[in-house]
Amino acid sequence: MNIVSVELRRFRNHHATALEFGPSANTLLGENGQGKTNVLEAISFLCLTKSFFAKSDSVAVQQGTSGFEVSGTFQSDIGSRFAVRTSYDLASAGKLYDIDGKPPETYASVIGRFPIVVLSPENSSITFGTPVERRRFLDLVISQSSASYVEEMVEYRRVLRQRNAILSDAARKLVAAPQAEEMLEPWNESLIIRGTRLVHKRREFFSAFAPYVEQAYVALGAGSEQPVLVYQPQIGDGETPEAIAQQFRSAVAAKMRDELRVGTTLVGPQRDEIQFSLNGLPLRQHASQGQHKTFLIALKVAEFFFLKERVHEVPIFLLDDVFSELDELRAQKLLALTATLGQTFITTTAAHVFGKAAASSAKTFSIHNGALRSS
Amino acid sequence: MVYTSESVAQLVDELSRLPSIGRKTALRLALHILKQPRERVVALADALISVKDNVRYCSLCANITESDPCSICSNTKRNKSVICVVEEPNDVLALERTNEFHGLYHVLGGALSPLDNVGPEDLKIKELLARLDEPVQEIILALNPNVEGEATTLYLAKLLRPLAIKVSRIARGLPIGSDLEFADEATLARAIEGRVDIS
Repeated sequence: MNIVSVELRRFRNHHATALEFGPSANTLLGENGQGKTNVLEAISFLCLTKSFFAKSDSVAVQQGTSGFEVSGTFQSDIGSRFAVRTSYDLASAGKLYDIDGKPPETYASVIGRFPIVVLSPENSSITFGTPVERRRFLDLVISQSSASYVEEMVEYRRVLRQRNAILSDAARKLVAAPQAEEMLEPWNESLIIRGTRLVHKRREFFSAFAPYVEQAYVALGAGSEQPVLVYQPQIGDGETPEAIAQQFRSAVAAKMRDELRVGTTLVGPQRDEIQFSLNGLPLRQHASQGQHKTFLIALKVAEFFFLKERVHEVPIFLLDDVFSELDELRAQKLLALTATLGQTFITTTAAHVFGKAAASSAKTFSIHNGALRSS
Repeated sequence: MVYTSESVAQLVDELSRLPSIGRKTALRLALHILKQPRERVVALADALISVKDNVRYCSLCANITESDPCSICSNTKRNKSVICVVEEPNDVLALERTNEFHGLYHVLGGALSPLDNVGPEDLKIKELLARLDEPVQEIILALNPNVEGEATTLYLAKLLRPLAIKVSRIARGLPIGSDLEFADEATLARAIEGRVDIS
């Protein structure tokens, strides 16, 4: 998948910016705060219907305006073109999204149609941060490769919210415990059925994904180190869905009393953890800064190749300000690798890092004060 | 919005309380009503009052009706040994249009949803159980295929299990007349999950 062109209107500091991209490396060059990342964020709005880092849509609206609009043209690997448009209106807090003029059935159904992989400074939390960040990474990769997973996740979250509504009433003594337990029964069953499907899918994903990470280490010239990803579901270390459901059922029963007291669901895949280790040692406690960075890049490169095979479409690779974080050697390796991948977008303040690694067909854009500076 | 007529403003206020009607649509409807001949507007107003004054809930199936019991419950040709449980009156209409079901209905009036403060006691579940004193052979649960419909189905299935009545639930799967390749993944996955034996 390539993005041929994009147009940003009243989007962050871009009042009206139109860009035409090349099919390989596209470099967005400029000082800090000039609006390079905003271009990547706009691409993310087209691909994922949302920002790759901001929690709300409204923050992307240019100060003093009523809403933003982003449109772009995509070209699939076999040459079909799609016109994608999204807009956000501040007053009504309403977002519109359409592909060739047709709104999708759900936003969730868009995920994976225009596959992207993003590597940005915020991503360091995947290896450094809390389990939430690792689950978010995991969910986005599986979501882009499986439409039914997105659906399952949306429904599981809905069950959680329904179940938590009862638990919260019980914790605040608005409902007596025995009555709450009775009300919880159908929701327990839904939680177990849907939670089991999520755990099973995540387990399948990990066995498929792990080899890609190992290959990425080799591709990045770090093949002497051995990366391992271990999925640690909070419940359900069983192999079959039946075994997982059985464990889930006992866990729900065992935690019921605690849940009624704290007023929230304590069991399920929303509490899963993913452990990364290198050469047999947990990454979080034992790895150096450099090893963390290599691990993260390997995860993203693995994500790229995994999606490429699953979606049958070469993903768009967004590299946001990664070279300020990387040493010269890693930067060169990553550039050499991405130059062969497909369409990549690189934001940077320094042109010198690129050197020979930048492909001859690469296009460079100078971004200054929310506009393209003609050079 | 500032209106030059207080009556129009009031009508827009009332219309925009209706589900899926925003203020812009409400204004368009209000201006349309204004252009109609007086008798059409009176007919609309009468229909609104009449629906409130004359429509009741059937004491057996809880469907909307003007005579109690409703025309379906009092129809002697219907198979009284099968009850199809649905969420809302419009589900009855949808099933009736198929001409495939000749049993009776039971309208719950919604589905379990703790977030909206809807618990079992807010649905016509006691009324359903009361109907089972008569000989009933099968109960078909035809609730919406969403999270709330599923939880309600699970709740009812458990409640009905000890009663030695056959309890079934409608199949989920592919729409007729469409090709397999065009089905979305979630629907297809459910259809495979709910596959049936043909041997």
